[in-house]
Amino acid sequence: MLYSLFYVDKTIMAVPITTILEIVRPTKFYAISGSPEVIDGLINFRGKVVTVINAGLGFGVNKVYPTDESRVYIFKKNSELKLVDGEELDSDICPDNIGLHVNNIENVINIEIDELQPVPANMVHPFYKFVVRKGDDFIIILRPTEILNLNKDRDLLS
Amino acid sequence: MKMSTEIKFNIYNPVITYEHRAAYDMVLSQLHEIFPICNQGKCKALEVTDDPQKQKQINDLMEKVEYISDSLINITKVFFDQMYRAKESSSQSIAHSMAKITIDMVERNLLERTCDVRWWALEKSFWECVEASNVAVINSAKKSSIKLAADSNMAIDIKSIENTLSDRVTIACLRLEDIRSSYTLYRDLVLVNSNGKVIATANIDRRERLLGVDVSDEQWFKEALKTKDGTEYFAQDFCNSKLEDNGSLIYSTAIRNKGDEKGEVIGVLGVLFDFQGECQIVLNDALPKDVNAETLDGWFSFFTNNQGMVICSSDQDFIPPGLVPPIPKSHRTLRNKGDFKFSTAVFCGINCLIVSHKSEGFDDYDGLEWTSHLVLPVASMFERHIENKDFGITPKELMNSHLIPEINRQTFQEIQRNTDKGDIQLISINGIVLATDLGKSGKSFMPIFDQITKTGSSTTGKMELLLSEMSTDMLNQTLKALVNLSNQAIELIDRNLFERAADVRWWSSDFVFCEALKNTETENYDDVSRRLAVINSSYSMYRDLVIADSNGRIVANSKLENREKLKGVNVSDQSWFRQGMQISKSVQFGVQDVCNSDLESDKTSLIYSGGILENGQRVGKALGVLGIFFDWEALAHPILEGCVPRLDSNIVDGGASFFTNTDHIIIASTDEEHFSTGLQVNIPSANLNLKEGESTAGMFSANGKKYIIGSTKTKGYREYRGLEWTAHVVRLID
Repeated sequence: MLYSLFYVDKTIMAVPITTILEIVRPTKFYAISGSPEVIDGLINFRGKVVTVINAGLGFGVNKVYPTDESRVYIFKKNSELKLVDGEELDSDICPDNIGLHVNNIENVINIEIDELQPVPANMVHPFYKFVVRKGDDFIIILRPTEILNLNKDRDLLS
Repeated sequence: MKMSTEIKFNIYNPVITYEHRAAYDMVLSQLHEIFPICNQGKCKALEVTDDPQKQKQINDLMEKVEYISDSLINITKVFFDQMYRAKESSSQSIAHSMAKITIDMVERNLLERTCDVRWWALEKSFWECVEASNVAVINSAKKSSIKLAADSNMAIDIKSIENTLSDRVTIACLRLEDIRSSYTLYRDLVLVNSNGKVIATANIDRRERLLGVDVSDEQWFKEALKTKDGTEYFAQDFCNSKLEDNGSLIYSTAIRNKGDEKGEVIGVLGVLFDFQGECQIVLNDALPKDVNAETLDGWFSFFTNNQGMVICSSDQDFIPPGLVPPIPKSHRTLRNKGDFKFSTAVFCGINCLIVSHKSEGFDDYDGLEWTSHLVLPVASMFERHIENKDFGITPKELMNSHLIPEINRQTFQEIQRNTDKGDIQLISINGIVLATDLGKSGKSFMPIFDQITKTGSSTTGKMELLLSEMSTDMLNQTLKALVNLSNQAIELIDRNLFERAADVRWWSSDFVFCEALKNTETENYDDVSRRLAVINSSYSMYRDLVIADSNGRIVANSKLENREKLKGVNVSDQSWFRQGMQISKSVQFGVQDVCNSDLESDKTSLIYSGGILENGQRVGKALGVLGIFFDWEALAHPILEGCVPRLDSNIVDGGASFFTNTDHIIIASTDEEHFSTGLQVNIPSANLNLKEGESTAGMFSANGKKYIIGSTKTKGYREYRGLEWTAHVVRLID
């Protein structure tokens, strides 16, 4: 299955291509008063209102600032998600489209199912789903269900 | 963006290097490949999905790619044009400033000569000699008219006149020799009586040949006779004279009765300036050298006079003096002062750039309407700089800096925008996202996006390389220009100080001074002060001239307003005085480097000293010291101001120039705010620790800003060794 790689601070992470609606450059964020700091704001994406989460703050590292290199992942909402090539997906991502603001994106790689390894016990994190070793790099595969479901897990993000 | 409609350097222009042509071909052919791929993508979209939104998304992506490729193709076409234009214009401006500097140097030198000749004409031994000669002429005329007169009184009379004459001729010749040895710029100096007969000369080797030669038909002699008073002189442009075998440049002025500036004209002083020697130095300095210090092939510099004839050239065999040089007529006939012209023409079988600049004169000196020409191979303008010093600045920083001309900066930014890897990356990842959504049928998009990514990164990579090449080239060109300016600054100051060193040596030999110092009993120094005042009134660069006796007591000075303050002051512990007392030959002089002196209220003083030798001899014991105080700031500032980097006659951002001494302390500066006088500078050590005559360029940070710098250490001028100063020219880059 194809995964899109990106950086949050110094960590390489990946999300399945199938969960992505589109990747865009950070445009103007409309601030929402009273929202947790982890939320960068709202953006207008093809007429839809999308909440953007700051990945840096979400993982408790340096905040991601909009730069030439930073990007915003727009994830699909449940109704847009469907089976591709019969591969099993997390059935439930989020009822709404959600954006994730990351430091910069890398290329797209193919990861076979048997390459996915469970997260070592000492680095368990509710957002982490698998770890993949590619050459010298470790790639953390995120669990979109968790990270994007603000309604379910607000405590973790705030 | 504004683009020039006319492309001067299209890719088929022969000056474009093979590498650039290859890069252009590669970039363009790759970009052209993108279009069919995009078309294929659009067709595929219709084929694999019926969802109009998906079709549109794919179409949009393809169109974005097409747009980027299209603008890259367009910009690549002008990019090379602009890159070569930028190189051309910066090379042209460097060549122009070289041409201008060469003629400026010569003009400044000639200006000094006009001061010299007027001042020397007042010398007592000269008018006495001319006077005696004129009397002898009248008497010999009388003698021949009464031919066999038996009047023995008259015979004695004639005898004594002849004796006086021969004594005076000897003295005059000695004085002329002194001048020539103090100022080494002259081939000869001649004293001519009212009949046009040469009666005394400075050059011993040629004296026998020249004494008695009749120059009454020569223009410089006739014009000097017509001068109205001591302030006038005549400069005879390059011509042939009986005095020399080669072409001569002669300055002349009248010798007047009793040395009075307004007195009756009794004879003429002519000075034969060694201008070929001088011009050769200047002309050759302007040309680049190979490792063996030989001038590079295809580079020439020469001067033409207002007739368009060569008067001196860097290669006398190839461009001989007296002939019309093989350059376009318009270059030989520049009309107005300061006019200049660029052309390309075949010179010496090579396609060359010819730059000509007509002299502007200097200050109120009009000059002789000469034109300076510099010829260089066109190819050399576009040469890559092989040596790439790492200055710790990224090409991207450079490209957005002030070094790059605005129009080029726009192109760079346009290219940067289009070649931003992020754009292509975003398009291709979003493409993959789309394709994945389409499931199996979407798989056929994969090769398309793969190709787009590949082409994208290879073209952007290539363009980035070209941009970085371009920006480093511009940096190198700018550094070269700064080095040239620093070289000019130090040369001008050295040449000026050379003249001052010559002045102090010559003045120290004045008979008034040694006479007064000899009679220690009388203590009458009024004559001395008067004499100093006369000298100082002809020059504007001295704050004061003082004379100290052998005990180091100041006994006379030129400026009345300083007299009270200076009189009797003991200077025996001061460097300039001590050096002066050590002098035993009239060709020596002493100098005290720029520092604070209690003798002057001004911030900085520069003092030259000359020994006043016993009986005005050439070798002897010093009776006292002549000290000359420069108006250092007034001397250094105009020179530095003239060497600040400029763009269209406006000083560039953060442009400044300054001199440092051996202790790395700034002794004069155009930017007192950032590089103030008296402070040690914080610039790269390579720029501070140069060897004699060496130049270097560099980059440094100061005041929180990044500067680039060109520096040149003095190499002296002729026998003047310089004071080990270094000239620095800086400008901001961000």
